Amino acid sequence: MQASNVLNYDYSVAKCFTYATILFGIVGMLIGVIIAYQMAYPELNYFAGEYGTYSRLRPLHTSGVIFGFLLSGIFATWYYVGQRVLKVSIAESKFLMSVGRVHFWLYLVVILMAVVSLFMGISTSKEYAELEWPLDIGVVLLWVLWGISIFGLIGIRREKTLYVSIWYYIATFLGVAMLYLFNNMEVPTYFVSGMGKWYHSVSMYAGTNDAMVQWWYGHNAVAFVFTVPIVAMIYYFLPKESAQPIFSYKLSILSFWGLMFVYLWAGGHHLLYSTVPDWVQTMGSIFSIILILPSWGSAINMLLTMKGEWGQLKENPLIKFMVLASTFYMLSTLEGPIQAIKSVNALAHFTDWIPGHVHDGTLGWVGFMTMAALYHMTPRMFKKELFSKKLMESQFWLQTTGIVMYFSSMWIAGITQGMMWRASDQYGNLEYSFMDTVSVLIPYYTLRATGGLFYLIGFLLFAYNMYKTITSGKAILSEPQNSSPMQA
Amino acid sequence: MNMESIRELQAYGYIFFTIFLVIILYSYIYHLYKSEKDGKRNYEKYSDMALHDNIDDVPVEKREIPLSAEKEK
Amino acid sequence: MFHWLERNPFFFAVGVFLVIAYAGVVTILPDFMESARPVIGTKPYTVLELAGRQIYIKDSCNACHSQLIRPFKSETDRYGMYSLSGEYAYDRPFLWGSKRTGPDLMRVGNYRTTDWHDHHMRNPQSVVSGSIMPAYKHMYTNNADIQTAYAEAYTVKKVFNVPYDKPNMPRLGTFEEANKEVMKEASAIIADMKSDDVKEAFKKGEIKEIVALIAYLNSLK
Ligand code: HEC
Repeated sequence: MQASNVLNYDYSVAKCFTYATILFGIVGMLIGVIIAYQMAYPELNYFAGEYGTYSRLRPLHTSGVIFGFLLSGIFATWYYVGQRVLKVSIAESKFLMSVGRVHFWLYLVVILMAVVSLFMGISTSKEYAELEWPLDIGVVLLWVLWGISIFGLIGIRREKTLYVSIWYYIATFLGVAMLYLFNNMEVPTYFVSGMGKWYHSVSMYAGTNDAMVQWWYGHNAVAFVFTVPIVAMIYYFLPKESAQPIFSYKLSILSFWGLMFVYLWAGGHHLLYSTVPDWVQTMGSIFSIILILPSWGSAINMLLTMKGEWGQLKENPLIKFMVLASTFYMLSTLEGPIQAIKSVNALAHFTDWIPGHVHDGTLGWVGFMTMAALYHMTPRMFKKELFSKKLMESQFWLQTTGIVMYFSSMWIAGITQGMMWRASDQYGNLEYSFMDTVSVLIPYYTLRATGGLFYLIGFLLFAYNMYKTITSGKAILSEPQNSSPMQA
Repeated sequence: MNMESIRELQAYGYIFFTIFLVIILYSYIYHLYKSEKDGKRNYEKYSDMALHDNIDDVPVEKREIPLSAEKEK
Repeated sequence: MFHWLERNPFFFAVGVFLVIAYAGVVTILPDFMESARPVIGTKPYTVLELAGRQIYIKDSCNACHSQLIRPFKSETDRYGMYSLSGEYAYDRPFLWGSKRTGPDLMRVGNYRTTDWHDHHMRNPQSVVSGSIMPAYKHMYTNNADIQTAYAEAYTVKKVFNVPYDKPNMPRLGTFEEANKEVMKEASAIIADMKSDDVKEAFKKGEIKEIVALIAYLNSLK
């Protein structure tokens, strides 16, 4: 037990992960902005020799924001929300407390090693699963630790009912465990042949099979990292911050099962017109469209939770972040299925429309929700008022502008490119050389990079605001029930 | 086994599971509303769990298993 | 039943897992039986080509280039015959890519030469004006890792029965034998190159990354 007699939630692990979220957020997004400018100005490729080229940095950007920024955000909120809705303090169990600490430090070590290895070009080439086998083992270990923490805390809970957020965290844990394990099946070459680099490995699957497993992974990683845990967050933080009960709890759990039933079938849409069987492709398409239902179920549920309370949007920037996040969730879960329609996909696949789609989900939905969650947690974890509401307002508008610039430029770029690739002249010959289709995109690449820069600046404002809150925010005596206290 | 029979199995596996899931999902919806109407249980009482999450708030449904921590009290 | 599930975290987790795992089993597993068969004429990569492939991965060329030609006229006109599943039978990992910032490279060996690559990789803008591809100058100074490439070939031969050393297939043999093959292949490529630094290094017995990469690009047909 703790030294003091009063039982309290223990946020030490949540705090560590909060720092990690901010740190990796800055790194990952900075690299993102750099590579975005590199596409418009290729001279920027040479600022750090072979380590600064677009292609070395791109896996660093994706892994950095997914496994650095977002994953630590998910862990931070878990170590915060988990205790609260189960009404049990992690400090009540010495064991779980140490698991939490080890979890954090192991995580930090793995991510730092991942950064180094990706800079060196040590990669399996599979998107979002680039890490070589020694680091994969590290990832598995830290995932097991997280699992122990989840189920351990559930085991000692006081609240019998598992709140819907907990459902989503459990699903995140299981989903990622399964996907990661199967997609990273590889044979270390050194142990078979006794020569070459010890960390090199070769995939267990070949060609088309490998592609199928990879996109089963890639698609569902989006499900279980970009969607499910973020829904977990919004189901806790939006009601809590706005003091409104969830509009319909039944709808929330129905959407949960809907999402679980449908999501996994939709992965085939990454492989339309490829060499995987038609059957899988068509099902991928159809299920992608059905997927709109459970996704919108959650999003609409959140918006209806704010019914009659829209005034809060004006007064509380946190509510604004979260409401915009669910709006972007609706946008990207509509856009995704549209891109999965075969004829649309024929045009959109391989173009910039796809990164455009990814980013209205990640910047709008994932990024906004994660930042809002941390903003909400900080006054409670550190017992300080948030440093500046004004800064939050400016951050909100700057980042929203950034997102709009990002996806609108990529929509135009992607569709232009797709149309030009297929355009033919009156004799049926291709009308444009490949270079024509590159040159025309340069202005859009500049616009996109600048949108990204806006978002990054907004994130730096966020980091600064958090830093000031933690170091010199006004102390608060009792924990605020609902809307987070902030100075003007 | 040859490819044809595998494909056939695959299609059956697919159809049956989809039907199974649809049935489950609909009976779940039915269950949610029925149990509310019968007054057996009300799911909506969970909807403000996030609002009452202090460690000394009363749990919506208390777990019977005594916690070692509570014994100490 | 439902209510019971909601309060039993263990069985709840099992339920969720079954639901999400089933989709994978039904959609993916059956095709493992079929699509791994190579089409006639597809051969495993030679050791030098594999070394090049590893460089392609190390520098994530797949971040900008696809290797998948879809069955549309506009694509076959631009890149050649559309891709067949069996052509990838020896690709571990697959390198289809997901973004075409640059053109597809599935059959680039049919229309680009060693000499062209030599200039292009060193400075793309000097060959194709306006190109936004980065220059890969470090490939002209780093040595290719033949040992790891051999290790990979040896591993896939042992573990996955990739037909090295079969009639009409690339020879692997011991590392010394393979290395001799590599030197022979490399010297043929270097003879077509203009880069003096690479030629000099080869005289000292070094094979630069660019040589292996070009061997790989030439093998894409
Ligand atoms: C920033 C994205 C980018 C990266 C990374 C990139 N390329 Fe390119 N590549 C391009 C563009 C754009 C073109 C078209 C213009 C040109 O030919 O330079 C191109 C063209 C090519 C061509 C000529 C293809 C043809 O049909 O004319 C080859 C070969 C090539 N790249 C190989 C590579 C290799 C090998 C790598 C990795 C070491 C690589 N590229 C990395 C963007 C990229």
